[in-house]
Amino acid sequence: MSVAGGAAPSAAPASSNWTVWLRTHLQRTVPRGQWLPDRQPAYVASWIYVFGVLTLTSFVVVLASGGWLALGGVTWWHTSSVGHFVNSLHLWSVELFMAFMVIHLWGKFWMAAWRGERGLTWITGAVAFLGSIATAFTGYLSQSNFDAQWISTQAKDGLNAVGIGAWFNVLNPGQMLLWHVALLPFVVGVLIVLHVVLVRRHGVVPPIDADEPAGQRE
Amino acid sequence: MSAAAVQASAAGTYVHWGVIAISLTNLIIIGVMLLVFALAILLPFPGNRRERESGRRS
Repeated sequence: MSVAGGAAPSAAPASSNWTVWLRTHLQRTVPRGQWLPDRQPAYVASWIYVFGVLTLTSFVVVLASGGWLALGGVTWWHTSSVGHFVNSLHLWSVELFMAFMVIHLWGKFWMAAWRGERGLTWITGAVAFLGSIATAFTGYLSQSNFDAQWISTQAKDGLNAVGIGAWFNVLNPGQMLLWHVALLPFVVGVLIVLHVVLVRRHGVVPPIDADEPAGQRE
Repeated sequence: MSAAAVQASAAGTYVHWGVIAISLTNLIIIGVMLLVFALAILLPFPGNRRERESGRRS
């Protein structure tokens, strides 16, 4: 690039510039104005549309309480009163996260929410649900108590029988803790971000007898 | 005996129906979730009522 003689930079977009490439792709994926819209179609004014956001908010509490537990460590969450409280906060936010997600799933299933080119939105949600079950399972194995021992020994035979027991060893608490605090939350987090981006791109699914709003990207 | 030991030794209450066996706690939770689902569909959304009323006034 030359700036000799104080010449103004060229107004033409540099197609080889990675920031231009990224900006173009982001704007193509979700056009400006669809990221955080301030108005929604009339049919969205229903309690059944609230459960997706409730799932997201409980996920934030799950991440925050889980991070706090990771800072304190096992001895802290088993012996101190604050540790007990944060441990319970983590458990009950997960209970609400799963319950809200299942009610969200029921609502979207009966709306046939994969309509209008929303197949990938449905799939990312379904895989995030399965990933959340795996994350919750490794969480139960990471409690470091008799409950965790009982669940791991009960699960071991089944996981061996399907051929994954050698590399996903539920009797290895260190491995299960790392799956729980690093790998699986990352996968679930990425899937949730993709899911929300796709919802913003295609818009909220209308009821079966309602018309698709004009201007919605498909 | 400590409270924790009492809880650990408790078997819990199970409901049996043919080949299906489910703990009463889980059954109640599923029932409450179904109730919340039904209420979410049936109950009116408060913001919607306000919008309708303001639309009627204007």
